[in-house]
Amino acid sequence: MSYIDLKSPPKREDRLKACIAHGGTICEMAGAKGKKSCLHDDGERSFTQGSICLILPALAMLNSLPDNVVLLHSAIGCGGCTHSQNANVRFGSNVRWGRPKDGVWLSTAMDETDVISGGEEKLEQAIIEADRRYRPFSITVVAGCVPGIIGDDIDGVVQRVQPQVTAKLLPVHCEGFKTKIWATAYDAVYHGIGRTLLREGEQAPTGDGLAPFKGLERLSRTVNLMNVSSMGRVDEVELERLLTTLGLEVNVFPVFAHPENMVKATQAALSVSTCPTHDDYFLGYLEERFGVPSLIRHMPIGIENTGLWLRDVAARFGEEEKAERIIEHEERELNEALEEFRPLFKGKKVFISAGEFRALATARLLEELGFTVSGIRSFHHDEFAEVEYQKLAKSSKDDYVIDIANVQPFEEANLLKRLKPDLFLGHANGNGTAAKLGIPTHVIYNTGLAYIGYKGVYEIARRLYRQLKNPIYNRKLAENLRLPYSDAWYTSDPFSHIDQRGGVAA
Amino acid sequence: MSDNFIERPRYVCALGGAAATISALPGGIPILHSASGCAGNFAWAQNGGSGLQVGGYCGTLSIPSSNVQEREVVFGGDSRLREQVESTLKVMDGQIYAVLTGCVTEVIGDDIKTVVADFRSQDVPIIGAETGGFKGNSYWGYDLALQALFREFVERGTAKVKSSVNLWGVVPSADPFWRGNLEGVRRLLEALGVTVNSFFTPEDTIENIRGAGSAALNIVVSHVYGVEAAKLFEEIHGTPFLSLSLPVGASASEAFLRSVGKALKISSQKINTVLNREKQAYFRFMEPLTDCFNDLDLQRYAVVVGDANYATALTKFLADDLGWLPELTVCTDPLEDDERDRLTSQLNVLESRYKTTLVFETDGSRAIEHLQKKWPPSGGQKYHNAFSPAFVIGSSLERELAQAIGAPHLSVSFPVANRAVLDRGYTGFRGGLRLVEDILSAVVAGR
Repeated sequence: MSYIDLKSPPKREDRLKACIAHGGTICEMAGAKGKKSCLHDDGERSFTQGSICLILPALAMLNSLPDNVVLLHSAIGCGGCTHSQNANVRFGSNVRWGRPKDGVWLSTAMDETDVISGGEEKLEQAIIEADRRYRPFSITVVAGCVPGIIGDDIDGVVQRVQPQVTAKLLPVHCEGFKTKIWATAYDAVYHGIGRTLLREGEQAPTGDGLAPFKGLERLSRTVNLMNVSSMGRVDEVELERLLTTLGLEVNVFPVFAHPENMVKATQAALSVSTCPTHDDYFLGYLEERFGVPSLIRHMPIGIENTGLWLRDVAARFGEEEKAERIIEHEERELNEALEEFRPLFKGKKVFISAGEFRALATARLLEELGFTVSGIRSFHHDEFAEVEYQKLAKSSKDDYVIDIANVQPFEEANLLKRLKPDLFLGHANGNGTAAKLGIPTHVIYNTGLAYIGYKGVYEIARRLYRQLKNPIYNRKLAENLRLPYSDAWYTSDPFSHIDQRGGVAA
Repeated sequence: MSDNFIERPRYVCALGGAAATISALPGGIPILHSASGCAGNFAWAQNGGSGLQVGGYCGTLSIPSSNVQEREVVFGGDSRLREQVESTLKVMDGQIYAVLTGCVTEVIGDDIKTVVADFRSQDVPIIGAETGGFKGNSYWGYDLALQALFREFVERGTAKVKSSVNLWGVVPSADPFWRGNLEGVRRLLEALGVTVNSFFTPEDTIENIRGAGSAALNIVVSHVYGVEAAKLFEEIHGTPFLSLSLPVGASASEAFLRSVGKALKISSQKINTVLNREKQAYFRFMEPLTDCFNDLDLQRYAVVVGDANYATALTKFLADDLGWLPELTVCTDPLEDDERDRLTSQLNVLESRYKTTLVFETDGSRAIEHLQKKWPPSGGQKYHNAFSPAFVIGSSLERELAQAIGAPHLSVSFPVANRAVLDRGYTGFRGGLRLVEDILSAVVAGR
């Protein structure tokens, strides 16, 4: 039985041995000094700060789906994050269809009575009412912590109610306390899509092996471009541009894809991931059940990585020569355009913080622009990233710190005071610490901005040039504000709250 | 309204409200005893709904949190909490710490009271509140956090100081204009010569908060938020309270000052002096608007959508200060019957005697149905008394309503995604001027 046959996907600490608590260095992570790059026993922190859980990335994807209603089955606060994600839904709708549109999300707002007597009946009624009121194509039923802990069976509810409603019902398991690796969110959403919208076709496999969804043809020049909301439309357009030049058709999946058309993903000749942290779970499913092979290796962020990504795709279609020509041309144009920025960037120290693969690929990009990496914080660690650590270990003159942490800005504050970088790139809601220390900052992910492909490199360079041309805003913050940490903390070892109880994995 | 769900909830949970409240205290450090995602969820909610204001001294992802996992669900989270509080005291630099429980730790029944009491007995300034998300929304979390503050931090037995008051009822971050609104009310009270402790403004100190029991009167500028905390305060510290409308604009500020003056036995002569001064200044600013207000025909029908503070306060402002026609007021909070009654009675006594329709509806997208019940859309007839010219004042989620009825729009109540807010507030006479500016600027934006 494969994972997809289970009610909910396994958590990533089990499936991928992913971990979140480790203080190390680039050489160590790359395996140069003792094997530590795949931590089978995660550490634990005796002090922790709040973070996100898998419900946030899951909702970022689900709210983007047109004609879908998100029904949260949890206490009233879960899903509050949507207020910020809704901006992406509005911009995303506007740039794709010319009209900003708010997402539709509902909450069963479980109260004390529901906690005591169970929330299944309320959820049943909520599904029926949402179906009648909004008439959506699909309703994604997202379970938060409360149903997980009191034992509501949302899959059972969905099964019972499905015959009474028109909308397709997708259960998505996001019980935050069950996994510390929020990237499990991608598996949870893909799991719901796979089990509900992309069940196997009825026709027998053809002589070529597995077939697409029932009644559909294989499209020999179409690739699935996987986007779980880590790219805005501007980045999709850049990758579509490159893939189209190779003579390929592009099917972006799954954000902003109408659930009714998702079956198209089973027709593709290849699925191409843009981030191994995101897609391995679902690509396995598409391959195993519908015969769609996949590529999941490089993230097209940075000059070298974009080239590697494109070469991999091209090789699958016998277009290697064309790819070389494209890459050669693109690189030459880009490098010329970057010349004006390079003198300002040269030798400046940068600290990078983000989801693991994104942080590492962006670090490589920044090296290409002339920055020196002085530290990286990855939100988690799993085996997919080993190759990226190796790339960085090879390209760096010096060893530098790697903090594996699900944010934990206290460690970052301590590290930044020591390292004094000239620039900090962090995730949304993750640049405040560096900014208040007076370090120029830039957001490493924002769906309104360009990051991906060759154009992404240029646009990042342009934005960093702007930031570094006048960094006085953060400097004044630092002169007038202080972070909430004790003086004693800055003199402590930044990793002193990590108890590496598992020790070094053999 | 639905009995089964709430559409696009315009608040987070009790834990979120309590965390924002503690973060807003001087040197306030919340310690969440919850799953790992709660703090981040609140950060993203603020990011999208609080007028570009996220966190503060110790907010968002800086907030200490025990991040309980399945292990704690099975074995209990008390020892993890104890470890977390101990390490928090080493790493963080705060003036007051508050342990706040989330859904998970509350369902598993962790005993935070003992843990908190143990630390307090070692002179740690720490309080604790049970704020599991299923207990209610942000507004109730605010109330619960204040209750804990009044019960476990404010000193007991202090002598009362005449003309000293405490002020609350504006919920940090759930009201995107909370800072400006509190300051606006503070200025009103200070004009009366009253000493004010308002807990959350830059002028407030932790020492004044500790000594809040000395206040002769507590003023809650809400008919819902913080009212239970006021009752508890009275029970513990013997200070009576007044629950008044959020004084948005000139008329409401006048009524507010008269009520407070009466309660504090301030002479009506003194109150009149203050009112005359404030009103004269207000109308001197309003004076040059007179021509354009008339020439551009700036009177409007209006739909007001807001939380329990704003729904009535904004309606009253439009009807009694601006002379507009607020036909429909939608309060989006889920409220108890007695709370609804209190709000309803506010709109029954408008100075203009304008009659508005107040509905309690948590689901914003239904506002248009309520409006069309009262103002049916045109059937294409030649003469039609339409709901026009109109204005929509609500949250940024009311942009769809405004677009549907072809009206300009201003976001005031959470979520405010499309405005930047720092010290702006709509309370007091000056706040009224700000609101006139913002509303009319939206009307004439294309001019």
